[in-house]
Amino acid sequence: MVQLTLPKNSVIGKGKTWPKPDGAKKTKAFRVYRYSPEQGSNPRWDTYHVDTSKCGPMVLDVLLYIKNKIDPTLAFRRSCREGVCGSCAMNIGGHNSIACTKGWDEVAGRTITIAPLPSLPVVRDLIPDLTNFYAQHAYVQPFLKTDTPAPEREWKQTPEDREQLDGLYECILCACCSTSCPSYWWNGDKYLGPAALLQAYRWLIDSRDEATGERLDDLEDPFKLYRCHTIMNCAQVCPKGLNPAKAIANVKHMMVERVV
Amino acid sequence: MSTDTHKVRGLGASGAGTSDYIRLRVTAIALLFLVPWFLYSIVDACRVGYAGAIDWVAQPINAILLILTLSAALYHMRLGLQTVIEDYISKSGSRQALMILNTFAVMALFTAAILSVLKIWMTASA
Repeated sequence: MVQLTLPKNSVIGKGKTWPKPDGAKKTKAFRVYRYSPEQGSNPRWDTYHVDTSKCGPMVLDVLLYIKNKIDPTLAFRRSCREGVCGSCAMNIGGHNSIACTKGWDEVAGRTITIAPLPSLPVVRDLIPDLTNFYAQHAYVQPFLKTDTPAPEREWKQTPEDREQLDGLYECILCACCSTSCPSYWWNGDKYLGPAALLQAYRWLIDSRDEATGERLDDLEDPFKLYRCHTIMNCAQVCPKGLNPAKAIANVKHMMVERVV
Repeated sequence: MSTDTHKVRGLGASGAGTSDYIRLRVTAIALLFLVPWFLYSIVDACRVGYAGAIDWVAQPINAILLILTLSAALYHMRLGLQTVIEDYISKSGSRQALMILNTFAVMALFTAAILSVLKIWMTASA
């Protein structure tokens, strides 16, 4: 049966409230999820006050401020700081997003909560375990598959065929979409999730690919594909403005097309 | 200690799902037409009392449409409940048992509903 409450060892306790920075005229409060497996205790909410005059505009700037000036033990992933790598995906103010392109002033509320991506095991603080997510991505074989011998130069594609990939190839695999999907929360072990299925569709409609039938065979399953109920959380949270739900609907249309 | 790839691949794709997806949508389209007719007719039939309602069911066109409505609605319900079971019941054994129960319950309802319509129609025709 689906679990509607957190397991005992995941219940989040009240953590430490750090003092306001000295001499700060304007501060903003952030409640950050903290968990260290080596401590053996439950996760907790720590509250930090950030001097907004000394901090950049993005949530990632806030996290760096906290790490550099208040609490160096805070752990989170980050790399490109410009919405390309997807490393800093997390739940900000109740919505999944990437911290580097999300302005903290865009988030409503006096105190902004920052938590790891929902439903995934937590490695530490804001770092989720993405191994299952990456294995799901690998399952859809996100590369060109052909039987025709490779041409001397590139595989050619018309501009119209290339346009078909717009809105799909831009995915940065941040996992915001999959971890915002209730179907993925309940059945994340079997349902491939919006991110992997968007990538599956990206290769299904690639005019150069010759394994469309095989790809559809690998997806035709009540759990791998048909757990999508068009809830649309995926499209709502995608930091790149993509629409995985539409891609999944198109995969279903392809499934129907080869039957009827 | 199995790998993540092993877990994700699992038993492989079952090759099922598309037929249920199509049937769910086809029954939904049928119900789009049948349910408004059914609601309008039931309200209309209720106005003329028990005997009038029996006469209404006894008309062949009404009996046929009633059987179609009940068939589409119950089949749609079976597929819908199957989706709910698949969504929320993670243990394989419980899931299979509930899916069988779902099918039996719908079959029982279907048989009883169709038999009732046929009985009224045949009694009235006799």
